Amino acid sequence: MTNRFRLAFVLGLAIAPAALVAQQAPVLDPAILMRPPTDAWPTYHGDYTGRRYSTLTQITSDNVKSLALAWVYRLNTSQALANIGGEGPDVPPAAANGFGAPTIKATPLMANGILYFSSPDHVWSVDARTGREIWHYFWKTRGGIHIGNRGVGLYGNWLFFLTPDNYFVSLDAATGKERWHHEIANVKREYFSTSAPIIIGKQVIIGVGGDSLDVPGYLESRDPESGLVIWRWYSTPRSGQPGAESWPNAEAMLNGGGMPWLPGTYDPELNLYYIGTGNPQPVLSGKSREGDNLWTCSIVALNPDTGKLVWWYQVSPHDTHDWDAAQTPVIFDGVIDGKPRKLLAQANRNGHFFVLDRTNGKHVLTSLHTDSLNWTKGLNSTGQPIPNPAKEASIPGVLVSPDTNGATNWPPPSFNPDTGLFYVSTVQSYSMFYLTDTDDRPQGWAAAERGLGATSRALKAIDYKTGKVRWTHPLATTANGPAGGPMGLLSTAGKLLFGNDGGGNFVAYDPATGKPLWHAGLGTNTSNGPETYMLDGRQYVVVGAGDTLYAFALPRP
Amino acid sequence: MGRRKLLITAIALASAAMAAVRAQDGQFDQASVDRGREVLVNQCGFCHGANARGGASGPDLTRSELVQSDEGGKELGAFLRAGRPDKGMPAFELPPQQTKDAAEFLHANIFLNANRRLYKVLDILVGDATKGAAYFSGAGRCSACHSATGDLAGIGRKYEPLALQQKFLMPRGGRGEGPPKPAYMDKNALRVTVTLPNRQVVRGVLVRLTDFDVTIYDLDTSAMRSIVRNGDVPKVDVVDPLQGHLDLWPKWTDEEIHNMTAYLASLK
Repeated sequence: MTNRFRLAFVLGLAIAPAALVAQQAPVLDPAILMRPPTDAWPTYHGDYTGRRYSTLTQITSDNVKSLALAWVYRLNTSQALANIGGEGPDVPPAAANGFGAPTIKATPLMANGILYFSSPDHVWSVDARTGREIWHYFWKTRGGIHIGNRGVGLYGNWLFFLTPDNYFVSLDAATGKERWHHEIANVKREYFSTSAPIIIGKQVIIGVGGDSLDVPGYLESRDPESGLVIWRWYSTPRSGQPGAESWPNAEAMLNGGGMPWLPGTYDPELNLYYIGTGNPQPVLSGKSREGDNLWTCSIVALNPDTGKLVWWYQVSPHDTHDWDAAQTPVIFDGVIDGKPRKLLAQANRNGHFFVLDRTNGKHVLTSLHTDSLNWTKGLNSTGQPIPNPAKEASIPGVLVSPDTNGATNWPPPSFNPDTGLFYVSTVQSYSMFYLTDTDDRPQGWAAAERGLGATSRALKAIDYKTGKVRWTHPLATTANGPAGGPMGLLSTAGKLLFGNDGGGNFVAYDPATGKPLWHAGLGTNTSNGPETYMLDGRQYVVVGAGDTLYAFALPRP
Repeated sequence: MGRRKLLITAIALASAAMAAVRAQDGQFDQASVDRGREVLVNQCGFCHGANARGGASGPDLTRSELVQSDEGGKELGAFLRAGRPDKGMPAFELPPQQTKDAAEFLHANIFLNANRRLYKVLDILVGDATKGAAYFSGAGRCSACHSATGDLAGIGRKYEPLALQQKFLMPRGGRGEGPPKPAYMDKNALRVTVTLPNRQVVRGVLVRLTDFDVTIYDLDTSAMRSIVRNGDVPKVDVVDPLQGHLDLWPKWTDEEIHNMTAYLASLK
């Protein structure tokens, strides 16, 4: 090699990586969110609709019998090789309760062949082809309830997640190195954060949680580059605002809760972000908060550019049983009475199924997805349940169905446009509610609950046009009675509905009938929403069960 | 350093760590809490209420972000020294110990508000025992399986009213005595009968029934056995020995529950 050649070669080597970086697409082009791809899972629900329905058809009801394990990833929580961040001490404070075996409640995001997901204080990047860990980030906590984390958000090369001690943290997706973190709520006020950030345009939408003390709930939009607040929306009104008339005084609404603790859904055409809010505070006593307590236990539509409330529908006026409305507000287009409609449906924790017009929040229908409810005096003219005051906690106790966990809960349901059915897992549970705080100004939960158990636990398919349950598939039974409960679901154009059976099996059901077609004995119930994507021409189905992530695919031809 | 000295140092360090953990866990200094209550009642109660949850002119202190964020009276003390004269809160010059005690009282209250598992159920014995007795032998059909002079004799002596109420609403579950044991060893665990295609019958306690298999625990041999299912083959029949209790859940009125509690509590 001549010197000239050698020089050119060396220069070429030096320039090439820079050129490569310059040309390389970001890990996730935010534009993808507007045309949900099948070769990525770019946001919590896979797309903005919350339907958790995939058009993929490689795996079908005909060949699902051959679905086989592709890989397994067991959570690595060791700090030894982790990127470490956080403001907490080396030994987690005792106030950071709820520890235990780490559980995957997050729906992993998948982009460019890499999965990104979280559990409280941890984020992992895992190769979607092999299930091998790429990096692990560990957050040293200051406290907060470590009940779960729903996942990460991805904007370009930046990952975002929330911590139990209420930090909004951003990582570089390629390396897992921290970019910055911002405190979003005060852990000493018993706030804790579990939601998965949602990206809309150049905004990251996040919400806070916590209902041990009487603190206000809010949703925020933050800048993906700086992490600073763009807007904040409080889920209870301030004096003088519309909705304030549903509270007795400013003190009650300022301390009224309403945590938006799960990710919402988004309609880009209407430019509305839909989210369900949490229960009012104090949780189980309504004595100091006479009225409907807007906008707690409500489905709300916000303009994501401004954070302004556009419409609301309250599914549990004056809730006194911890039944929030955080469950996924699923959006889809359908036909009601022969007319095409833009709809929004929610299977609520309070035992009812609601369908609304998502353009304006007008009520379409309300039905029961669970039969044992005993807490209402029926529905009002706009389909809202009317709470029976006699079923609010009393000193000697009242028997209420469902219990505070609700007739369903946070695990994501699925809507399948092919069958027109909304799938959700439900529980018929009962609890005694005892008023323990008899003060005129009760605080916190203000009452104690003692659970009796459940008489039924079942997967159900609801016809959105009538609200009627089309089929019911009971879950497993154990020595204690019915087992399992709310579960994450996924339906596909391959005529499949993925979920669990309450007995430790991951199951593919026939979405038309609820008949099981395939199962894998994981030994632990699935604990997150299953997802699917194409990678190298193969359709994968990925699901978490406890501390382990499983990937399934058809055998290679 | 000898081994003995090392050990003592280790114990001392461990106890210090324990004390720190207990403080965070809500183990408050009760004497300080009691003194703090006095401070609150005498100095603050006029405006903020005797229990600090707000009064005629002062806000709720236990819901105050400043108080909730305070550590050991530090932030509270600084606030008190300055006051908030524009909002009618005068400056207070409290001795440091009184500030600390007031903070201890407030933090203990906030902790108790925030930890619902520590809430104490109040007096639930409000029912009419005579009506409870009538329900026992009437609508409740309890006397079909139980007797006030037989299996339930003295039951009101054995359990506190709350435990008693829990027991008759749902006798299964709960910790019981001795070390923890699997659910299938509970005397009220579900029972299962499996009829195999060859008409052989397998009976036992139900461990697990799914769409794909059934697992049975044999009480006589302590052996566990699983049988694969294919649709409705083999035939599986499950019986809940507590079905009578479960059937009452949708039927009970709260008054009937209170009456039954009073009746069973009277069986001394």
